[in-house]
Amino acid sequence: MKFLSVAGTVFRKEIIDSLRDKRTMLVVLVSGVLLGPLMLIALSSLVSTLESHAEKREVYVSGLTHGPSLRNFLERQTWVVKEAPADFEARLRESRLGDPVVLLPADFESAIEHGEAPVVEVVSDSANRQSSSALPRVLQLLNGFNRERAGLTLATRGVSGAVLESMQVQERDLASTQTRSAQITGMLPFLVMLAVLYGALNAAMDTTAGERERGSLEPLVMNPAHALVLVLGKWAAVASVGMLVALLNCLSFLPAQWLLRSDALQAMFQFGSREVVLFLLLLLPFAAALSALLMAISIVCKSVKEAQASATFLVLAISLLPLMTLFNQSGDAPWHLWVPALAQNTLMTRVIKGEDLTLLQFAVPFLVCVVLTVAALSFVSYHLRRTSVK
Amino acid sequence: MIRIEHLARSFQAPPAPGKSMPFKRAPATLVQAVRDVNLFAPNGQITGLLGPNGAGKTTTLRMLAGLIKPDAGRMTVDDVDVARDPLVALARLGVLSDSRGLYPRLTARENIVYYGALQGMTRDAAQERAESLACMLDMSALLERRTEGFSQGERMKTALARALVHDPANIVLDEPTNGLDVIATRALRDSLRLLRSPQGGSKCIVFSTHIMQEVERLCDGVVVVAHGRSVAEGTVAELLARTGKTDFEEAFVQLAFVSAELAEQGAVA
Repeated sequence: MKFLSVAGTVFRKEIIDSLRDKRTMLVVLVSGVLLGPLMLIALSSLVSTLESHAEKREVYVSGLTHGPSLRNFLERQTWVVKEAPADFEARLRESRLGDPVVLLPADFESAIEHGEAPVVEVVSDSANRQSSSALPRVLQLLNGFNRERAGLTLATRGVSGAVLESMQVQERDLASTQTRSAQITGMLPFLVMLAVLYGALNAAMDTTAGERERGSLEPLVMNPAHALVLVLGKWAAVASVGMLVALLNCLSFLPAQWLLRSDALQAMFQFGSREVVLFLLLLLPFAAALSALLMAISIVCKSVKEAQASATFLVLAISLLPLMTLFNQSGDAPWHLWVPALAQNTLMTRVIKGEDLTLLQFAVPFLVCVVLTVAALSFVSYHLRRTSVK
Repeated sequence: MIRIEHLARSFQAPPAPGKSMPFKRAPATLVQAVRDVNLFAPNGQITGLLGPNGAGKTTTLRMLAGLIKPDAGRMTVDDVDVARDPLVALARLGVLSDSRGLYPRLTARENIVYYGALQGMTRDAAQERAESLACMLDMSALLERRTEGFSQGERMKTALARALVHDPANIVLDEPTNGLDVIATRALRDSLRLLRSPQGGSKCIVFSTHIMQEVERLCDGVVVVAHGRSVAEGTVAELLARTGKTDFEEAFVQLAFVSAELAEQGAVA
């Protein structure tokens, strides 16, 4: 019982201490809460510009007067045909023009009449995201023109247009709406994990390396309490901050969904209470293990500055491990679940995709987190008395 | 009551920079910080641990507080063996150590009460004690202020109150007057005299310092430490008589430097 009350005393003090560090706390919490909405708003505005672009059905042609037959075809497809500005190349390069430009040669019409297959250029800039995403639509339109001409030519000779298509090609996309959206929302788990990391970082350093730097660790361990009890109290406080950030972050996605401007994205990104619960199941043990690890790294450092340098390694690992799924195109391997950060990232991505997860898939990373926490905390309590003496 | 017998401790000093070759470790040098320190501090007395810089005073007191394990020797606090029951011994000690960092975002009162709670006191008892200590140390006005921006003396008073919050029978102070002005030093001396008296609880007080005047004015008994050894023990008058000097500073130099060298030679021979 005394054990618990001492740990509780340490916990209360550390929480008060970190809450009074208002500026740090504000930055951590605000970035934690705003991260989700901001990220979603940025995504939705990107998607909605692409959508509105597609809805406008505009096509830019340079030398419009050279090709009345093409113009006629395009307008019959209910597209608005516009003469391209003279400096379209420069505009495309500078992303001031978001559409590819069809370049008609001066002899287009007569060449078509004589069946000479004039060369038509379609100019886009692949570094200009909007123009390159609109490119397939324009190419498809021009193909349509080709097919129509060919069909007409064949028809006048009494041949069915069907000879042009020896087979019918139909696309079928296996991805569910949620998996499609996961392509866009795939970085959310990664951002949430980083937020948890930065949330716990300051508190973890302040309670270990910070105490050494201030010279308050030596008097602290002169109290008749076991080092492990002091460490448990400190860890509970640090982990609470990390968990609070995780909770706020997950909850912030709920209202953020209403802000989505694109209907398609709104339909695709489903983040409800099920997702919140599953995210937290993964994130809370992760925050606990991360806090313990950060404390273990910091306790052997004499100052917060030194601890920050040492923690870079952990920050880097957490930023890079989830990228493994990007580099590795062969999909998820079973061992991914045993690697912290990678496991959380993989499973959270699957949660967003709406896949069903088994209990075992949650149990493995949970177990890894528990082992890490225990190991790191024993390390800290072993070093607490030793390192208290500068 | 604190008793220290034949305490010894050595440290590995880091190799001097420049002397070590890259990829090859220079042989670690062993520094004998404490060789043979003996001290007996009875209750109701102020015992001074007097020694020059680097004599091993702080290391000795850190061993007493259980921060460093001694290589040899025995320490007891009220007959509790520090090596065997460090936490029981710590509960009977109030230590103002060399590093006396406070939590800058907590008020002085919160700093003191935190330690009280860690010592197992109830919150109310710790609050009450913080107020009475503040009265004794003349720092009542400071209690509700955050310790960020405290002056050296204000810090020192807070740290002292923090060390005394659980009303320990044994008080260990490591160079408490460092950085204090005359007024603060005098106030501290008065507080220590009060703690020594029967009204103050007849505490056993160990006071480490390198300042002669402090010892002359305050201490009932003195242990002179030099080169990690306790070289002389007794009251100020006894030490003066032993060295045949009238000035305590002269007596101290004689004891700490001349006799220490003799002892060193004796140990080598």
